[in-house]
Amino acid sequence: MSLEDPEKEQQGALEGRSREDELADLLGERALSRDDHKNAPAFVIRPDEVQDVLFDLRDQAGYDFLSCVTAQEYEDRYESIYHLKRYDNPMDEVSVVVPTSKQNPVSQTAEPVYKTADWHEREAYDLVGIDYEGHPDLRRILLPETWQGHPLSLDYDQDRPQIVTLREHANPLEEDQRASGTGANAHSNTVESGAVDDAADSDTMYLNIGPHHPATHGVLHLKTILDGEQVVDVEPDIGYLHRCEEQMAQQGTYRYQIIPYSDRWDYTANMPNEWAVARAIEDLADLEVPEYAQVLRTMATEFGRMLGHFLAVGTFALDVYGDFTAIFMYAIRDREKVQNILEDLTGQRMMFYYFRLGGVVWDLPEPREEWFEKVRDFLDELPSALEEYHDLISQNEILQLRTVGKGMLPKETAKQYGATGPVARASGIDMDLRRDDPYGYYDELDWDVAVEDGCDNYSRLLVRLREVEESAKIIRQCIDLLEDWPEEERTIQSNVPRTIRPDDDTETYKAVEAAKGEMGVYIRSDGTDTPARFKIRAGCFNNLHTLAPMSNGEYIPDLVAALGSLDIVLGSVDR
Amino acid sequence: MSGVDLASVLLQQNGSGNATGNATNATAGNATNATAGNATNATAGNATNATAGNATNATAAGPTSETPLPDLISGLLGLDGFGIWGDAVAALLGAFLIANVMLTMTAVAGPWAKRKITAAFTDRIAVNRIGPFGLLIIVADAVRLLSKELIVPEGADRPAWDLAPIILPFSALLGFAVIPMGSGIQLADPETGLVFAFAAASIASLGLVMAGYASNNKYSMLGGLRSIAQNLAYEIPLVVTAASVVIFTGTLRMSEIVAVQSQPLIEAGALTIPSWFAFVNPFAFVLFLVANMAEIGRNPFDIPEAPTEIVAGYQTEYSSVYFVLFYLGEFIHIFLGGALMAVLFLGGAAPPVPALGFIPGFVWFVIKIWAFFLFTQWCRSAVPRVRIDQLIEIGWKGMLELAFANLVLTAIIVGVII
Amino acid sequence: MIGILKGMATTLKHALDGETFTVEYPDVAPEVSPRFRGVHKFSQERCIWCRQCENVCPNDTIQIVTDSSRNGEQYNLHIGQCIYCRLCEEVCPVDAILLTQNFEFTADTKDEFVYNKEQLKNVPWYKDIDPLNSRNPDRGAWIGEGEGEVDYQ
Repeated sequence: MSLEDPEKEQQGALEGRSREDELADLLGERALSRDDHKNAPAFVIRPDEVQDVLFDLRDQAGYDFLSCVTAQEYEDRYESIYHLKRYDNPMDEVSVVVPTSKQNPVSQTAEPVYKTADWHEREAYDLVGIDYEGHPDLRRILLPETWQGHPLSLDYDQDRPQIVTLREHANPLEEDQRASGTGANAHSNTVESGAVDDAADSDTMYLNIGPHHPATHGVLHLKTILDGEQVVDVEPDIGYLHRCEEQMAQQGTYRYQIIPYSDRWDYTANMPNEWAVARAIEDLADLEVPEYAQVLRTMATEFGRMLGHFLAVGTFALDVYGDFTAIFMYAIRDREKVQNILEDLTGQRMMFYYFRLGGVVWDLPEPREEWFEKVRDFLDELPSALEEYHDLISQNEILQLRTVGKGMLPKETAKQYGATGPVARASGIDMDLRRDDPYGYYDELDWDVAVEDGCDNYSRLLVRLREVEESAKIIRQCIDLLEDWPEEERTIQSNVPRTIRPDDDTETYKAVEAAKGEMGVYIRSDGTDTPARFKIRAGCFNNLHTLAPMSNGEYIPDLVAALGSLDIVLGSVDR
Repeated sequence: MSGVDLASVLLQQNGSGNATGNATNATAGNATNATAGNATNATAGNATNATAGNATNATAAGPTSETPLPDLISGLLGLDGFGIWGDAVAALLGAFLIANVMLTMTAVAGPWAKRKITAAFTDRIAVNRIGPFGLLIIVADAVRLLSKELIVPEGADRPAWDLAPIILPFSALLGFAVIPMGSGIQLADPETGLVFAFAAASIASLGLVMAGYASNNKYSMLGGLRSIAQNLAYEIPLVVTAASVVIFTGTLRMSEIVAVQSQPLIEAGALTIPSWFAFVNPFAFVLFLVANMAEIGRNPFDIPEAPTEIVAGYQTEYSSVYFVLFYLGEFIHIFLGGALMAVLFLGGAAPPVPALGFIPGFVWFVIKIWAFFLFTQWCRSAVPRVRIDQLIEIGWKGMLELAFANLVLTAIIVGVII
Repeated sequence: MIGILKGMATTLKHALDGETFTVEYPDVAPEVSPRFRGVHKFSQERCIWCRQCENVCPNDTIQIVTDSSRNGEQYNLHIGQCIYCRLCEEVCPVDAILLTQNFEFTADTKDEFVYNKEQLKNVPWYKDIDPLNSRNPDRGAWIGEGEGEVDYQ
C-alpha cells in the first residue's frame, strides 16, 4: 500500500497532514477521536480493538517499533498510550490512545502484536493498575508481588503499610495481603509454577542467578531453568533498584528539579539521560536552545556515551575472561580520562547535571586552550588505546570462540522486542536517533552509524568499540567548532523563565539515543509547574527483555556473556 | 612469612646447626601462614606416613648419588642407630620441613604475590601499606580469614563437607614427596616417582567433587561436576605427554629423569643449551603446559570456579578456615604443577648454563616453579576463559590426539633413530 | 593463536613499563577541578534569607527557619542527602552558599550530617581554593563586590 512507498515517505515531511489522513483512513471507524500529542498524531480507540488496530498499523502502515507504553490515570478514566515508530524512520510516529473506564480498567493486550508490550504492560499494571486482557503473564514487574495498591494511581495511599509476608509464613486466618481479585492473577505465576514443576522433573534444575551474583552488574535476579548446563528458560526478575524515579520527577519542577535526578537512571552514561529530559520539556514548553549550547551538549553527550561504552566493554570482558582481566582496568583507565575532562567541564565525575533547559550550565572551563589541549591529547591517544582493546578482546581467538554465533538475536526478534541502541545495531537494524531523528548538532557533523550483521555477542562488542571511535570523531569536530566560535556569540542558555508552566493537557514523547538505546520521556502537563505524568522509556528495560530469546539453549557462560553484551544498568532498568 | 624466612630455613637445614631447634623455629615462624595449624600438621603427618615406607625402601635399593633428605636429617641428628624408629622420625622431620617450605611459598604467593602480579598487569600498585612492600598483608590476611565465622550451610553433607578442604592441600603436598628439589632435597625417590606424583595430584579432584556435592548448593554442584569433567579430559593428555618424556629417559624415577637432562644438547662456543626436554621436544612441552593449566584449573581453564558464571564453583559455601585450606590447596597445586614442569621439562634443579652452577640447585628449582606461577597469573590477566563444552572438546578431540601423536612420534624417534 | 599472543604481549607491556594510574590517596591529595561540587559553605553575613535555595532544592536538603519578621534564625543543610546539583549556589543572588571542592567528610551517624550554619561556615576550602572565581569570573562585578577577597567569616 502507498504508505510503505518510499517516495511517499520522502514527501511525508512536506505533507504531514496527508500521512495523518492516510492513517485516519486506515483506522476508519475504529478511530473514535483524535488526541494529538506534540510529537505525533494520536488516535483514540476502543479498549477491545487494540490488537486489531495495532496489527493494521504494524503490517499495513509499517510501524514495526513499539517504542513505549504509557499508562496513566485521569480523574475520569485510565489511559494506555502506545507510542509507535518505525525502525527505518523513527520520526514517523503515531500514538494510539486506549482509554478505559474507572470502574473496569480492562484493556486488550498488545503483546501478540509487539512482544515488547509484555513488559511494558506488566509495568503499567504494576504501577497504574490497568488490567490487560489476554496478556500471557500479567504480574507485577517492578514491585514485589505482595505489594498492595498501584503507586501511580490517583487514590494510592502512600502511608499504607506494605506487609510483605512469605508464602509459608502466611496466616491462613488473616486476609491475604498479596494483590488478588483482579483477573490478572489467573495468568500469574506461570513461569514460577512452571519452574517448580520443572524442578520436580529430574531432567532440569531451577537456578537463581542473582540478585547477588558476580555477573549480574547490579541487583538483577535471573530465574533460570537449566538442563544440565544449558539454559532452558530464563526470566529476569527486576525491580530491586526501583526508586520511583517517575514519581520523583512528577513531584519536581520542570525548570530545575527533574534533570539532576535523570543522572541517576543510567548512571554509567548519564549525559544522554539529561538530554532526554531536556528535549522532552523543551518540546513541551517550546524552548529554544542556542546553537553554541547545542554544540556543547553534543560534545558532552558523546563523552557520556564513551563513559558508558568503556564500562560496557570492560565489564563484558570481565564476564568472559574471569574477574582479574587486565582489560577491565584498561577500560577504567580510559574512563578516568573522560571523567577528568568532564569534571573540568561540569564539576562532577558522575552525576554531571550539565544540562539546563534552554542550554547548558557552563561554558568551557577557562583557560579554554588548556582544556582543548587536554581533550585533543585524549583523542590522540584514543586510537592506540582502542588498538589495545582490539588486541586484547576482539582479535583474541578464544574470545571469538566464545562469542561469535552465541547469544543470537535475529533482526526480526530484535524488532519485536523493541531492542534499540547497540543491541539493535548489532542485529543489523540501521537505526540511530542521532541521525534519524536529529537533535542537537548531530546532523551538521560528519560521522557514521555503526551497524553489524552478526546478531551475536561479538557484534554487540564490536558495535560499541566502533561507536567509541565515532564519538571521538564527533567530539573532535565539536571542539574544532567551539574553538572557532566567535566570542560574542557564545550563548550557553536561552532566556528561560524561572517557572515553567506548559499549557494544560499538553502531551509529548521525545527520545534521544542514549548509550544503551533509546531513552525516551513522555510528559503530560496539567498547567502547573510539575508534570502530571512523567514516563521514562529506558533502553535497558527493553534490551533486557531480549535476554530470554537470546540465551535459550545456550550454556550458562553464554547466558552470562549475553547479559554482559546487553550492557544493562539496573538503575535504568528499574528506574 | 617471606622469602627471607624461607631462605633461613634452607640455610639452617643445610648447615650443621641444631636441626631440631631450627625446625621448631620454622614452625613458630610459620604461625602466621600455617593457617590451620592442625591442618598443616595433619597434612605433613599424612605425607610422612605415606612416604616414609617409600623413603626407606628407596634408600635401601636406590642407586642415586645424592642422599635423600630423611637420611641427611637422620645423619645430622645422629638417628642412625635407632633403626626403623630413627628412620621414621627423620622422614617425619623431612616431610615437615618440605611441607612448611611449600606452605610458606603459598603464603607469599596467595595474599601478596598474586596481588602484586595482577596489579602490575593492570597498571596498579596493590598492597603497599602494611610492612615493606605490603608484605605484612600476609599476616593481616591470615588473621582476617582465620578470625571469620565458619558458616556451615544447612543440609551440608557433614563428613564429606569437612574432609574436602583437607584433601585438596594434602593431595598437592603429597606430590612433593617424590620431587627432587635440588641440593639433595628429596623426601623419597621411588622407582615409580612420576606415577606417584600424578596419582597424588589427581586426588584433588576427589576433594573438589566432595566439596561440590556436599555443599548443598547448586553452584557448588555445577563446579564439582565441571571439575571432574575437566580433570578427566586433561589427565590423560597430561600423563600421555609425560610418558613421551619417559620414553626418552627409560625410567619413572624422578632423580633419573632429572639426571638425563643434565647433558648438553648443543654446544656452540660459550653457549650451551642443556638437553632439557623443553628444548628436546618443545611440542610436548607446550602440550604439557596447556594440559597442566587445565589440570590445576587456572585461566583459561578456571571453569570449575568461574566466578562470573557459577559464583565460586565448588568453594562457594566455604568460609574461614576451610576457605583458607582451599586457597592454600589451589596454590600448592600450582606449585606442584610447576614442580612437575621443572622436573620433566626444565631439568629439575639444574641451572640453565653451567656457569651459574654456584647458585644452589634448590634456588633454581624455586625460580622455575615461580616462573610457572607467574605464567598462570599472566594468563589470568590476558586470556579469556573457554566454555565448559569447548574445554571438553579441546581436551578429548584435540589434546588427547596430539598427546598420542606426540607419544608415537617420540617412540619412533627414540626407537628407530637413536 | 596470534590474537592470544597479542593480548598477552599487551598485558606484559603494561606490566613492564611500570606505569600506574593509582592515586595514592590519602598520601596524595587528588587533583580536583575548580568546578567540582563538594561540601557546602555558608556565609550568614551575606545571606539575605530569601529562601530561594530552599525552594529550588530538589530533595529538601536545605531547611531555613526564620522568625516572624523574616529574620534568619537557622540554616540547616542535610549534607548526607544532598545530591550536589549546585542549584542552591546557582540561584543564590548574593553568593551566600557555595559548594567548595572539599569532598572529605565523615560522621558516625546520619544525624551528624545535618550541618547547622556554624558547621557550614567552618567547612574548609579544599587546598585553599576559593571556587567562586573560577566558576563565575565576572560574577563579583555583578553582585557589586568587585575586586578583593570574599569574606566568608
